[in-house]
Amino acid sequence: MGRFFLRRFGQAAIAIFGVTTLVFFIQRLTGDPTLLLVPETATKADIEAMRHTLGLDRPMIVQYATFLWDLLRFDLGRSFIQNVAVTTIIAARLPYTLALAGGALFVAFVIGVPVGVLLAMRRGKASSGGLMGVVLAAQSMPTFWSGILLIMVFAVWLGWLPPSGPGGFSHLIMPSVALGLLSMATFARITRTSILDELSKDYVRSARARGVSTRRLVLRHLVRNASIPVVSIAALEISHLLAGAVIVETVFAWPGLGLLTIQSIVSRDFLVVQAIVLLGAFVTIGLNFLADILYSVIDPRIRLDGGPS
Amino acid sequence: MSDTRILARAAAIGLALAVAAGAVHAKDQVIIDLVNEPATLDPHLQWNPDSYWVYRNVFDNVVTRDNAGQIVPQLATSWKRLSDTEIEFTFRSDVKFHDGTPLTMDDVVYSVKRITDPAFGSPQLGQFNKIIKAEATGANTVKLTTDGAYPALLAQLVKLSIVPKHVVEKVGKDEFNVKPVGSGPYRLETWQRGVQVTLSRNDAYWGDKGAFKTALFRGVPDAATRVANLLAGTSDLVVTLNSDLAQQVEKSGRAKVLTVQTERVAYFAMNSFKAPLNDVRMRLAIAHAIDKEGIVEGILMKYPRVVGELVSPFHFGWADGVDSIPYDVKKAKELVAQMGAAAKTPMELATAPVYDQRVVQAIQQMLADIGLNVQIKMTDMATWLQGQQSAQDVAPMLTFSRWSCACQDADGIMFPLLHSSSAWSRVKNDKIDQLLAAARSEPDEARRKGLYGDVHKLVREEVPVIPLYADAIIYGGAKQLKWTPTPNESMFLNRMGWSE
Repeated sequence: MGRFFLRRFGQAAIAIFGVTTLVFFIQRLTGDPTLLLVPETATKADIEAMRHTLGLDRPMIVQYATFLWDLLRFDLGRSFIQNVAVTTIIAARLPYTLALAGGALFVAFVIGVPVGVLLAMRRGKASSGGLMGVVLAAQSMPTFWSGILLIMVFAVWLGWLPPSGPGGFSHLIMPSVALGLLSMATFARITRTSILDELSKDYVRSARARGVSTRRLVLRHLVRNASIPVVSIAALEISHLLAGAVIVETVFAWPGLGLLTIQSIVSRDFLVVQAIVLLGAFVTIGLNFLADILYSVIDPRIRLDGGPS
Repeated sequence: MSDTRILARAAAIGLALAVAAGAVHAKDQVIIDLVNEPATLDPHLQWNPDSYWVYRNVFDNVVTRDNAGQIVPQLATSWKRLSDTEIEFTFRSDVKFHDGTPLTMDDVVYSVKRITDPAFGSPQLGQFNKIIKAEATGANTVKLTTDGAYPALLAQLVKLSIVPKHVVEKVGKDEFNVKPVGSGPYRLETWQRGVQVTLSRNDAYWGDKGAFKTALFRGVPDAATRVANLLAGTSDLVVTLNSDLAQQVEKSGRAKVLTVQTERVAYFAMNSFKAPLNDVRMRLAIAHAIDKEGIVEGILMKYPRVVGELVSPFHFGWADGVDSIPYDVKKAKELVAQMGAAAKTPMELATAPVYDQRVVQAIQQMLADIGLNVQIKMTDMATWLQGQQSAQDVAPMLTFSRWSCACQDADGIMFPLLHSSSAWSRVKNDKIDQLLAAARSEPDEARRKGLYGDVHKLVREEVPVIPLYADAIIYGGAKQLKWTPTPNESMFLNRMGWSE
């Protein structure tokens, strides 16, 4: 167990260092926030003055060293654009992202897993083919399109739900559905494959021979045994949800990290982008780590040290 | 974290959000959807529409423009020129900041000094750095001294907000930016970061009080979503629509289009430092090939207006009767034929998502029709800006763009785009340089207008850029909203109303 942790921490540190370094340089190579800040009429001298105020006229390597030094002291700096501490900006957005990711995961899981079970049990039947078609359609629809479609139907025509922005629980429904549909298909497919896998195993045959009903068999035995791949996919899907949120949050004016990411990249708000990427790296690595631990909880035969089982 | 715990947490957050904000839609509240939330509310620190649409309601400016575009008193009631470089303003004496402190000449002088201090780093420095001195000359008068004659000063002062010295000095720049105190018709109530800014009416305001008790500004980045909000009745005013969305609003019957032609001029720039664009025949061919009327009528639904000079009718320096170079494919092809093989040189047309891509693609097609080889190069805004402001040999060959100085003065658009000293200019023409420099400091209005008229003629002959149209700004408004949009794209809450 100890070795496992140590190795994981080592890997995480390298990954995070690599990701932040990449982001630091790529951003600075592709544009300058100063030009976006000043009015079009600004002269070269005005722009230089602004660049100096922001500290962007220093050599790149000095800026990088400062960034690393600040990072070690847990100082993420201030946004150029908003003149507010980066942590304040991110802290304001985080709850919305968590709420949306939670909502989407709920939609994906609560629809996806039962659909997967159904697909597995009815394999080869016509109804299964039709259902699979629906699942594929849900996965193939681009969110910027399905999002605006949802808004037009449920907010503008029917007037049942608020069209955009955060607010009450009703505000969370459409963005969660738009975002969750993507992962729903993944969950459905993985569940289906995994259950089919289990169905061909000996214990299933013997259970059937004992006369256990299909319903009981699926609910009591199969779902638990088939859930390991689903859990590992869930960890991956949460990172996908955070990435997919960029578009959904833009369409629904949902003030989460996805929207903040795109706004900060567009305005070259370097420090905010760096902080978001850092956070993203932490979350992804952390979730994978959690998934590994969950495996061993679900199936005690799996040992984290990777030794003989 | 287990799935159930994730769900539990999400549910908890959902509930918390539900309790936190239940937007009530009442007549005494106006809800405005901007593209993004304001970046900062310190008026000296930020220059973008989403910010100034909000903070200009919190702060008063030295002077303002009425709905017809005339410069009229705001904090300053009158002004007189003492010499070519000195002008004395008389200010109101009955103005109080939101904290109850009277606005004094100290605040005016402080505001000028703050925004013109290079160390402060205002993005607007370039709009005000011709002011070299500000001094109180009496209890209600301030004298401004400029570095040489500067006829555009008043036009610039439309954008100079007066901040309270005592508050800024006490709380500092970082705090003032999130909790601004002004003297305007509305005060900041709350700023829910990332979500919305709420302003409430200043009932002690010295001038016209607003009709709405509160105003909500929200950031809604997707234009189609802004329209959906408007049609669903969850917002009263939405900004920045294109002609397609405007048609959608028009046809819905649920809301109305509010539009006005602005001082934002769309133009097509050609890099005359690079072959084949260094040949005037090539530039003229391009000018003849672009169907300006076709673009305005066919794509932009007649909201903008075609112009033949690099200013709009709302600029000082506009001259009547300068026709646009006519659309004439035959003539364009003749000129291209004269150019021979050089005309086939591949040329990049630089553009960014903020510009109407339908127009960009139409222009590409029109140029292809006369046999030119034009490729569209789309980058994000930051990269595009970098390209525009680089040295002539690496700057893009062709550019479609729109320009507003928010000053309604020819100097603010013609100097940066045509004078060889400017990073944006793709031309070096000594005669144009001389005329622009002379006009910049000519105090006599008639003579100044004449100088710009001469530049218009030269631009039409030499074609360093092709003026296309004075663009329109299109808003969507609730049916009952009473509001007149202005050519300088301002949005004053105390000029809005509601009809039952």
